[in-house]
Amino acid sequence: MPNMELQLGLALPTPNMIKGFDLNNHRLDHLKQRGCFSNKSKRSFEQAFGNFKQDGKTKTLLLWSGQPNEEEDHKDQKKTTFSTIDDNDDEEVEQVVGWPPIKTWRKKIFNQPNGVGGIENNRVADKENGRSIYVKVKMEGVAITRKVDIRLYLSYQTLSNSLITMFSKDKKCGDDDSTRYILTYQDKEGDWLIAGDIPWQSFMRCVQRLKIIRNRD
Amino acid sequence: MCVVFSFLFGLSLMHKKMEFPFPDEVLEHIFSFIQSDKDRNSVSMVCKSWYEIERWCRRKVFVGNCYAVSPRMVSRRFPEFRSIELKGKPHFADFNLVPDGWGGYVFPWIVEMAGAFPWLEEIKLKRMVVTDESLELIAKSFKKVKVLVLSSCEGFSTDGLGAIAASCKNLEELDLVDCEVDDLSGHWLSHFPESYTSLVSLNISCLVSDEVSFSALERLVGRCTNLRTLRLNRAVPLDKVADILRRAPQLVEFGTGTYAAELRPDVYSDLAGAFSSCKELKSLSGFWDVVPDYLPAIYPVCSKLTSLNLSYATIQSPELIKLVSHCPNLQRLLVLDYIEDSGLEALASSCKDLQELRVFPSDPYGVEPNVSLTERGLVAVSSGCPKLMSVLYFCRQMSNEALVTIAKNRPNFTRFRLCIIEPRTADYLTHEPLDVGFGAIVQYCKELQRLSLSGLLTDRVFEYIGKYAKKLEMLSVAFAGDSDLGLHHVLSGCESLRKLEIRDCPFGDKALLANAARLETMRSLWMSSCAVSFGACKLLGQKMPRLNVEVIDERGPPDSRPESCPVDKLYIYRTIAGPRFDMPPFVWTMEDDPSLLLS
Repeated sequence: MPNMELQLGLALPTPNMIKGFDLNNHRLDHLKQRGCFSNKSKRSFEQAFGNFKQDGKTKTLLLWSGQPNEEEDHKDQKKTTFSTIDDNDDEEVEQVVGWPPIKTWRKKIFNQPNGVGGIENNRVADKENGRSIYVKVKMEGVAITRKVDIRLYLSYQTLSNSLITMFSKDKKCGDDDSTRYILTYQDKEGDWLIAGDIPWQSFMRCVQRLKIIRNRD
Repeated sequence: MCVVFSFLFGLSLMHKKMEFPFPDEVLEHIFSFIQSDKDRNSVSMVCKSWYEIERWCRRKVFVGNCYAVSPRMVSRRFPEFRSIELKGKPHFADFNLVPDGWGGYVFPWIVEMAGAFPWLEEIKLKRMVVTDESLELIAKSFKKVKVLVLSSCEGFSTDGLGAIAASCKNLEELDLVDCEVDDLSGHWLSHFPESYTSLVSLNISCLVSDEVSFSALERLVGRCTNLRTLRLNRAVPLDKVADILRRAPQLVEFGTGTYAAELRPDVYSDLAGAFSSCKELKSLSGFWDVVPDYLPAIYPVCSKLTSLNLSYATIQSPELIKLVSHCPNLQRLLVLDYIEDSGLEALASSCKDLQELRVFPSDPYGVEPNVSLTERGLVAVSSGCPKLMSVLYFCRQMSNEALVTIAKNRPNFTRFRLCIIEPRTADYLTHEPLDVGFGAIVQYCKELQRLSLSGLLTDRVFEYIGKYAKKLEMLSVAFAGDSDLGLHHVLSGCESLRKLEIRDCPFGDKALLANAARLETMRSLWMSSCAVSFGACKLLGQKMPRLNVEVIDERGPPDSRPESCPVDKLYIYRTIAGPRFDMPPFVWTMEDDPSLLLS
């Protein structure tokens, strides 16, 4: 960085309740001499946060005229952490992390189906904390219900692979490798659908539970 | 407060002249009237002896950033404090922008205080990682603890709560607000011994387990006759509410669990009767899964209500209008956007005492609006509610015209947070940026302390903010601005700014470096998905020893990329504790220049 003026200075005074009270340099020296600041090697509260003015100089690490410049060096660096909406796009837009700014806590009500008399649905133990969405997975004929964190998967393929591994021990006798299974899911409206029709991102947002059923045809 | 200060001013002048005739106890007594942290800090700076007297008699310590100071420094300076409030993670952690494991651990603080402060009475924590181990240590070390408030905290389970319940015989307040608790079961409530009766306030609304020990809860409520606040969690069914209310008719604040059940006349009349017997009720919350037919059960208490949280209540506008029209004394309302413009117009005409309004989106991720809630609702309340000071409003469209009207209607706003759901949305009437609208807000609302921006905004809005928002303490910016000039306006103009959080804006090195000194006068600055280079971060870290410049980057070490490469997330905060040592592998604190540390 070329030619910077580095002057030791301190913070700008901020208005405080004691109006008209002036901590002048004399006072500062007086305090220092008295060893007022208990810990000599570390700065005390006042030194760090106080409203002192010393020499009235301010520290800046860059002399900048404050005028907009033509360089536009930010153009390339402009980050797009989300994809802009296509007007023709009927689907839901890709979620930007942390937008809209709703507390994790509040998001839980969107993940759980609501509705009159829908108490039973509230027992679904979804947990969305921004990092995990746990969904119950039941396999037809298997007593134990498992849970998966949907957020760990990037696609239907990875999810299926994982489920195959998870349930491979549960294959009933009489089933052989030619038995085929269908992955179905329950969405926010409570309907059971075959997984795979909607884009993965949309699926992640609306899946409430999963069920693996045997393909009977 | 002014009277006390003029008096103090006079006293301090006397003190300066070394003619001070009064013993320290007199000063101590006077200082005891000064509660606010800011004022206490000012008082302590008058002179050395005031600093000494003040530090011995400070009873409440507030640490706005747990890394700004070390536990040892606090305990050394204030040997007699009784109450501590600590805040950990930056605010944007609420929206998952701070990766897990960043920090904010309370354990070192508890350890430090455990030995030296056995008389500690209040512990209030916000956005900190609290483990069961910490809770167990609190239970073991602080026999006199009366107040434990955990707000947006995580890392603990109901086992830790059980330890608190079992040991803290003097506990009066246990308040869990929006915490991520590993809810193993509701049996922790039974850990409150039968002899325990001191509870005044219990908020367990964030516990997610379906199991609650109802008998333990009912017995607890029954024997704690001083109970004023009780906020239940969703697991408590509606038919249990009547029983609980009957045991605690003295309640002032109550949060229901699930507000849904099969419609049965006996359950309804039981509930209505129980509510009627609560003559002191001023605040209601909860209302998960509301069955509208059960709402009228609360009508008997509505006329006294000052605070109503319906933000989990998925009921439609007509029911909301009916409810709200029964509450003429409402001061605080939290509600979903199901209330719609029509509901807000009704609110504006019924609730003239309204001071705070928060409208949350029912379908934040949908592209099309699912309700008819627009700028009109906000204009209506700003016009009809003369005491309205604090607003949080999520909507999908806005205009400069509406914002100007709102600003002129309500110059008394202290908090204005507007979230237009789609980033960079322009004025829907003129298709222009919303600079002028927000400019009017800062120009007319001279007492504005907190502002959140949204919509399409250029550098111009920051020019207005820098020029007018002189009392602004906290600013949240997202998807706004064109260049460094925007950031420069804010940093150079907003004299009272303490917290600045920015995401997805084209702000880079220049404004940051040019205003480096300003950063020492603020609590913190957060910038994510902006254009600040690693090189600038290093420079800032080197030259500003009183700042911790943290680069948070999950892509890997920033020095594995060119220096001009922008960092993912940047968190800068002033500190007298130096760099911290509890960082995860994806956080780097920029090193101080050793020669500057000695100056």
